[in-house]
Amino acid sequence: MTATENPAAQQADQTYRPSTLQRFLPFVVAAVVPFILGATTDDLNFWWKAAITIAILALVARLAWKWTPRGELTHREDMRLWRTPSDRSWAALTMFGLLVLPFILASDFTPPMDFPWATWFAVVNLVLIFAMGAAAFNLLVGYSGQISLAHVAFLALGSIVGGIVGVQWSGGNMWLALPAAALAGAVVGAISGLPALRLKHLYLLLATFGFHFVMMLVWREYLQEYFGFVGIRFKGVNSPRIASWLHWLPGIDPDENGEFIITGQFRWYWVLMPITVLSILFMVNVIRTREGRAFAAVRDRDVSASLLGINVARSKLMAFALSSAVVAMSGVLASFYIGSRGEDSFNVQTVLNYAIIIVVGGFSSIQGAIFGSAFFWFLPEWFKWAREELWFVRDIEFLSDYPSEIDLAIKGFLVVIILMFKPDGLAGMWRDFKNWLSRSLARRNP
Amino acid sequence: MLLAFGNFTADPSVNLQLLIGGLALGAIYAVVALGFVLVYKSTDVLNLAHGEFLMLGAYFALTFLISENLNFFLGVFVLLLVMLVFGLVVHYGIMRRMVGQGFFAIVLITLGIATIIRALLLIFYGPTERARLDLLPQGSFEVGGATVRHVDLVIFGVVALCVLLFFLFFKYTRLGLHMRAVADDIEAAAAMGIDPDKVYAMTWAAAMVMAGVGGLLFGHVTGAIDRSIEAIGLRAFPAAVVGGLTSLGGSIVGGLVVGVIEQFANGHLGTKWREPVAFSVMFVVLLVRPTGLWGRKDLERV
Amino acid sequence: MSGGGLDLRIQDLTVVYGGVTALDNVNITVPSGGFVSVLGANGAGKTTLVRSITSLLYLHKGRVRRGSIVLGGESILGKKSPDIVSAGVAQVPEGRKLFPNLTVKENLLCGAASRSDVSGIDESLEQTLELFSQLRPLLSQTAGLLSGGEQQMVAVGRALMSQPTLLICDELSLGLAPKIVHRLFELLTEINETRGTSILVIEQNASLALQHANDAYVLELGRVLMEGSATELKGNPMVQELYLGGGGEAHTSYAAIERPSRSRPLEHGQRPPVTES
Repeated sequence: MTATENPAAQQADQTYRPSTLQRFLPFVVAAVVPFILGATTDDLNFWWKAAITIAILALVARLAWKWTPRGELTHREDMRLWRTPSDRSWAALTMFGLLVLPFILASDFTPPMDFPWATWFAVVNLVLIFAMGAAAFNLLVGYSGQISLAHVAFLALGSIVGGIVGVQWSGGNMWLALPAAALAGAVVGAISGLPALRLKHLYLLLATFGFHFVMMLVWREYLQEYFGFVGIRFKGVNSPRIASWLHWLPGIDPDENGEFIITGQFRWYWVLMPITVLSILFMVNVIRTREGRAFAAVRDRDVSASLLGINVARSKLMAFALSSAVVAMSGVLASFYIGSRGEDSFNVQTVLNYAIIIVVGGFSSIQGAIFGSAFFWFLPEWFKWAREELWFVRDIEFLSDYPSEIDLAIKGFLVVIILMFKPDGLAGMWRDFKNWLSRSLARRNP
Repeated sequence: MLLAFGNFTADPSVNLQLLIGGLALGAIYAVVALGFVLVYKSTDVLNLAHGEFLMLGAYFALTFLISENLNFFLGVFVLLLVMLVFGLVVHYGIMRRMVGQGFFAIVLITLGIATIIRALLLIFYGPTERARLDLLPQGSFEVGGATVRHVDLVIFGVVALCVLLFFLFFKYTRLGLHMRAVADDIEAAAAMGIDPDKVYAMTWAAAMVMAGVGGLLFGHVTGAIDRSIEAIGLRAFPAAVVGGLTSLGGSIVGGLVVGVIEQFANGHLGTKWREPVAFSVMFVVLLVRPTGLWGRKDLERV
Repeated sequence: MSGGGLDLRIQDLTVVYGGVTALDNVNITVPSGGFVSVLGANGAGKTTLVRSITSLLYLHKGRVRRGSIVLGGESILGKKSPDIVSAGVAQVPEGRKLFPNLTVKENLLCGAASRSDVSGIDESLEQTLELFSQLRPLLSQTAGLLSGGEQQMVAVGRALMSQPTLLICDELSLGLAPKIVHRLFELLTEINETRGTSILVIEQNASLALQHANDAYVLELGRVLMEGSATELKGNPMVQELYLGGGGEAHTSYAAIERPSRSRPLEHGQRPPVTES
């Protein structure tokens, strides 16, 4: 549907042009205000915080609604991040959820039956880190069709850069390590993508797997050279902190040494959440632009893509570089968040884990990466809870004897079942659910 | 920082020993690679679960031959029969539905199967490691200052026999002919009245039997039988690729070449170099000649 | 020999790939011992027709939504392809589809996959080689290395190895020299007359197909546009205009000819094709 076909919409498009600032301001406000609120007033009653956040978000939603142009979808609208009011409401809801979640998790509210609230905060933070890496993996493998098993190699690269820049050079400056890792990831990623110019499918998979082993060698050598068998410690003196020139910010109150160390789940959440959200938005943004369409064209048929004037080599390398940069950044975040990385932090099982995440979440969808990693980390928690609390599961000894193995078996079965019956995974089910919802709503109010 | 190339030794007996060790290791790789090749050749599936299949074979060998203490030949027969049934289960239960799906989806489903097998083995056999099998001849003899184990010779013989049997099977039997036809063009084969489903089922059964043989053999030379032996599946990749993923004979040659290279890297550079060197060799082969030394040439390249 | 061909009746066949309708209410009959050709341009649904008869749609994610396919009084819709071959349907697939890494002899033997009588297979091999005597010296050659004409001969011979009662040839003429195509069609007529095998030829080369067939159908955008005896259709001005390279007087412009289109309203209370987003 192009703008030229619909003069009315074209007119609407001309009369209404929200500026970039206009469009993003509400979200910036929505992201910053609760952060200030949350961090400044640790003792403020949780419900107050929630109420204020809800009020702000209601305002944001109102403004977003007001600025929503009506009429048919123009090309301009088609290219928007959130194309329809429904998309926008889901985005607003997600944003709201992300802002409120830490307050709920940090409060001493206990759900019935000891639902594992407390441990959830750590899980949520892990999900954030993994979602970022898995989304980048999906961008490369699902969306660009460049099959790679070198994913974990870039997590390791992130840890190496984190070790060199973040620990050895600056003694805990994660903020320096992040862009450095992105840069290193992009460069090494493009290099690791070179075989893709010549190989496809199976052979590309094997070549990238070879790269994985080479990177593992580098990682072990680096560790032994500088850190020995204990591995790199990203904790203690190496913990990341907010620089002193930012201490005037509301919500940041330095400790007795005049430092603000990022520690504890709550503070980490406010570091990880924005980074993850921004990087995922960035990738979604790449997908919907010219560059991203070129990725998809190369995936579907690279010969035809090259006939359309797409620089196939550039497109492939770009996909590798982009994905690897984000994965390396998530590697840095994971290193600093988890606190230590040793010789056996990365192995083939880690590759498998990411594969499980993207399959369960849904192949070739960024959303799927988020669903997948949430599922991956929450499953053991639910399973543990079920083992301890649910009366009909509690007494089965077999389950409590082999918790992690059964967890693994469940994940394996899920991968097989989802691939066999529902190849779009959780993201596909979610899409079906949304379609069903809008259909039934439409039926009720025709 | 890393490179310790200095300790090349001129002592011929050391190098001979490395060569012999490499050939022994290569024979094991060949067994595993043969499993890859069987499946890839006729179903176009890259079976990343083959290492786990092999582990299954090793554990079943433990059960039937040690715990149940069956007669050696009866035990091996039962083992292979069980593996065959398991292969049919894999095909009719799972892989059958995946025909026509995307390449990576199928790779991922084999990873899923690998995960299930690994988890179930841990549940039923526990995490404790078991002593390796000792049913094949255990002695050794000396050649030019290097030790040759009898068991390695047995492995070598078994691998050569398997390759020969498969070769004859593919060349001279109707089912073998149909398997090759399906590998060439599944649609045309189906149009000729060949049932691809049956052929795929036979392929999986054959691969699983090979994994049973591999598990039995590898169970004799591994340090101990525990969950780590599935790694042999990944380590045999370079062998399969160097030999060409579609060639039965290639899996032997590839296995021996990679085994010897790995053993020399191990001996002269250090253990940590074993995998990177093997995978680098694979990488170079992929770039220079992606079909491997003996592979089919009709593959898709950019 | 296979005593007389079986008749094939296709009724109301509707086939979809995902949301795309490839065949729409197609009715085609191949009488026992008949020689029928189906004409049509690219995308007319010819290959889909072959896939539906031989039950190979599943390999392309297509499925039959409606209709019946009956061979000699027995429905073959939904049977597996090996059973259909056993029932007597053999095909020469579009683009020949030989097994390139197998030898010519092995290719021919694969054609007999549905049979189990060893001596009968040897006999058929001998007969096939008599029919295509050029293939005899090439028996141990790798099929992928043969010329196009030789490959097509192997493909026809391979189909004959199952002693079919109905032989389906999909785009026999594709990419071959006219001389070879003529020779192949003469062979088909010979097989049809001497063995009584029913033959269904799917063709783009209309003049050739109409010359050899008894009956013909014109397929366009998944529907049967015209049907009748070959001579009837040869005389039809529209067929001449569209498929025989002009000569008719009825239409001077290609665009002026009324043809079905996919956007035409659907009939019989049919459900519209589901479009997938």
